[in-house]
Order: sequence, then C-alpha cells, then structure tokens
Amino acid sequence: MPSVESLTSAPLVQIVSSLRRRQVSPVDLVDAYTKRIEASAGLRAFITPPDERARREAQRAERRLSRGETGALLGVAIAVKDLFATRALRTTVGSRILRDWLPARDAAVVARLRAAGAIIFGKTNLHEFAYGVSTANPWWGIARNPHDPRRSPGGSSGGSAIAVIAGLCAGALGSDTGGSIRVPASLCGCVGLKPTFGVIPLAGTFPLGWSLDHAGPLARTVDDAGVLFDVLSGGDAGRKSRRASTRGLRVGVLRGSIVELVQPAVSRQVDAAAAALRRRGLRVRSVQIPEMEWTVATQLVTLRAEASALHARWIRTRSRAYGADVRTRLQLGSLVAGADYVLAQRMRARIRAAMRRVFHDIDLLLLPSTPITAPIVGERTVRWPSGEEPVDGALVRLTAPFNLTGLPALSIPFGATAGLPIGVQLVGLWNDEARLLAVGRLIEEEAPTLTLPREQGRKISR
Amino acid sequence: MGAVTGPRRGLHTVPVTERELLTAAARAAGLRLSAADVVALLPAWKRYLTLVEELRAAMAPEDTDAVG
Repeated sequence: MPSVESLTSAPLVQIVSSLRRRQVSPVDLVDAYTKRIEASAGLRAFITPPDERARREAQRAERRLSRGETGALLGVAIAVKDLFATRALRTTVGSRILRDWLPARDAAVVARLRAAGAIIFGKTNLHEFAYGVSTANPWWGIARNPHDPRRSPGGSSGGSAIAVIAGLCAGALGSDTGGSIRVPASLCGCVGLKPTFGVIPLAGTFPLGWSLDHAGPLARTVDDAGVLFDVLSGGDAGRKSRRASTRGLRVGVLRGSIVELVQPAVSRQVDAAAAALRRRGLRVRSVQIPEMEWTVATQLVTLRAEASALHARWIRTRSRAYGADVRTRLQLGSLVAGADYVLAQRMRARIRAAMRRVFHDIDLLLLPSTPITAPIVGERTVRWPSGEEPVDGALVRLTAPFNLTGLPALSIPFGATAGLPIGVQLVGLWNDEARLLAVGRLIEEEAPTLTLPREQGRKISR
Repeated sequence: MGAVTGPRRGLHTVPVTERELLTAAARAAGLRLSAADVVALLPAWKRYLTLVEELRAAMAPEDTDAVG
C-alpha cells in the first residue's frame, strides 16, 4: 500500500486508483500537500494557497468515496491557475487591479473539474495578466524553479508547473496564449498539453488574446494529462489514446532556420526522442516549414493588438497599476495600427496553410518545446554564437506557431542537462489529441528518468 | 537621439526625433506616457516597426500578384 507521502508525487492515475480502493484518504492527501506547500513557500507557486474550504471538499469527497461513488477525479486535488474564475474564491489574474475580485460563478473548466469530483486546490501564481513567460510577478512574488530556485519556472502558468513537479497537488490547470502551458512544463519537467483551439471552453477565463487563448492541463505524466483533458473537454481522446495504434505513424522532425538557435543538449534530446520513436515502429523523417520564420512577428502583432484591446481602458487610466513589463507591452499594443493587424492575420493564414500542407505527409511534428533550459531569474537575453535574442522571445519561438494555427501540442520531459529538465514538443493535426497523447506516451516511456527536485533518489514513477 | 524624418531646412518640415514620434503616436492613441515610459517603450516600439516592415516585405509578392 503506498504511503500518503509517496502519493504526493505519484501520477494522478495512481492517486485516483488509491482513492477508489480506499488505500488513502483524500483528507490525508490534502493535509500532506498542505505541509509541502508550507515547506516550499519560497517557490511562490500559489497566490491563494488552498485553505479550509479545500479540506472540507476533501471531507465531502471522503464521504462520497465511502458510499462507493465514483467520479473521474473524485477526491483529487487540482491546482488552478489564478485566471480561471472560482466562485467566492479570490481570482487576481496575477494583478493588483483585480486583487479583490471574488467571482460570482466558476469558469466552465472549473465547473467541469468540480463535476468530476476534483478538489479545487488553491490558485496558482502566474505572470501578471498571463502576459509574459517568467512568472516574475511584481505583486504576488517571483516564482522559482523547483530544480534550481535561482532559475525561472517559465510562464505564464509557472505556479501550476511548480505545483505539479514539487508534489503540491495531483495535477493543475493552465492556459496558453503563446506557450504558457508548454514553456513552464518544459522548464520545470512536467507534461503540458495545449489542445486544439476551441476544444476546451473558455467561459469565465480571463482572456489575454481572444484568437490565441487555450486552456489545458499540466500533469506529471501523459496519462494524467489525458485524464484531465477528457474532463476539461468533455470528450474521450485520453481514453482513446490508450488503445490507439501508433505503428507506422509518420513523424516529421522539424529542421530549418527556426530550430537553428537551440542549445546543443536540447537538440540532442529531440534527436534521441526521434530515434526512440523509430525504434518503436514509427516512420521518422525531417521536414521544413519555412513560413514558421514569420511566427515571431505575426504573434507579436496579433497578441499586442488583442491584449491591448482588452486592457484599453485600464492602460489609459491606471497604467501605474501594472508591472513595468506588462505596462510596456500594453502601451505598445495601443499603437498597433489596424492595417498591421490585418497584415499579421494574412501571414497567419499563410503559416496555417503551410502547416496543413506539411501535415499531408506526416501525422505528427516533433521539435523542442523551448530552445533553452530554465534561464536565471531576471536574465533578459540569450547569447547565441550568431548574436543575442530576448529570453522571452526565445522561450515562445517554438510554441507560439501552434497558438497561431490552433494545432494541439504536447510538451513532454525528455532528459536533463546540468540538472535542468528538457522538454520535447509533439504537435498533431487539429482534433487529433488521441494520437498525440498515444505517441507522447511512447516518448515518455523512452525518456531518461527525471529526478524530482530536492529529493535525490525519488523518481517520478510512471 | 538623432532626427529621423524631415530635412533640416524647409518651410513645412521640422526635425522630429524617434522619441517625439513615439510620444505623438502615443498621444494620438490616448496614452499619457511619462518620460520613463517613453524610455522603456522606445526599444520595443522600434523592434515592432522593424518586424512589421519585414512582414510587409514578406507579403509583398502576394500583393503584386493580386494587383497584376
């Protein structure tokens, strides 16, 4: 019988199984997580840590379990990024402006989690208004990477990734507008799924960019991500993925200028993942998508305009209530001309058409999630042999293309360098999450074991 | 900051710095920028303008085809 402490870092599916068999009580699990949250407060994973309400939810779940009730997540503690509205539970969106917002109702995804029996386990830290990838939040604390607290966890769902990898919950909810699920998943060493655009409802989710926003899970394993995805989407792709055949599937490994500036250790791991898939019977070849070169400009114009449209009033009347980096981004967005936005949407259509063409010849695309491992907190530029690149631009260079196109993308931990996790990214065709998860599981099975931070010798058991 | 538009002589033009252009554009957009805001925003704005120019150039062949 697994101990409560060992279950805090166990895969969600194992926790579900242990709860159903009554091997562990949800109240004991919640208490164990709470102790760990208190011990790791310096990581700044939470804006609003779970309180007595979460414990009461655990007690209710315990009673339901004892009556033999089932639910996909009955008694399972799920941390929620603090931009999803939670009824009567403070939802700050990582901002000072909304520091006292008590929503009247749950976001659609939170309602789905509750309906599946989940315990809403605190609200996690994020980049202010989700508008950045460092989670260095000026109002709620600078989030720290559990593998090395001098380093960034990435963002904007940084708190959710920390909570998952540090064993502070069973799984977490995040959002992704340019890479905000996959970037922290990659830098912290957990699994992050950005599904097909529109598959998970966004009602009650504070927007950043309407045409780019996605919600999705961060989890310790691909199976866990599948379980959460099924609950969040109301579909069965996660279940289907467990019986989907992968033999003979065609995988394209992305080559070309967009992946030239990548740390050598990251490139090696992508190649190792490709070799592993070949060994498992998939057909692997190189592909190029030259149109991806225009991703950064297209994403920048699109997101700056959309975010500033949303914040139009506040940035004009309360600009001092924003942190410096977000204020600058919003002010810049206010200067985007309508013609520039149209130009970006035309390029976006071109990128999308190029992806569609490439996916005629492949079933899945493989590339790094991030070109670099976790940067030092506050580091602004990446130095490449050919020049410098802003850290925030580098971190989303390989994730943002799939926000522009809406293709589903999964970040999977695959080894480490200098003690820092490396994430590989697998991209599927629209609404093909079942195959995406199935092949993601193969990569996970072939991945070198990742040691959990600050717990030498404890591995993530899969 | 050097002048970026307009000759130094002429009846109807005056030298305009990048900083002045940015401040004018911001004012037109309804933003009130502090001096510190301008300093922070200027590099980002210049990068934005460069990226948009590159996008425009990349789309140009399609434009020509459409017109032709």
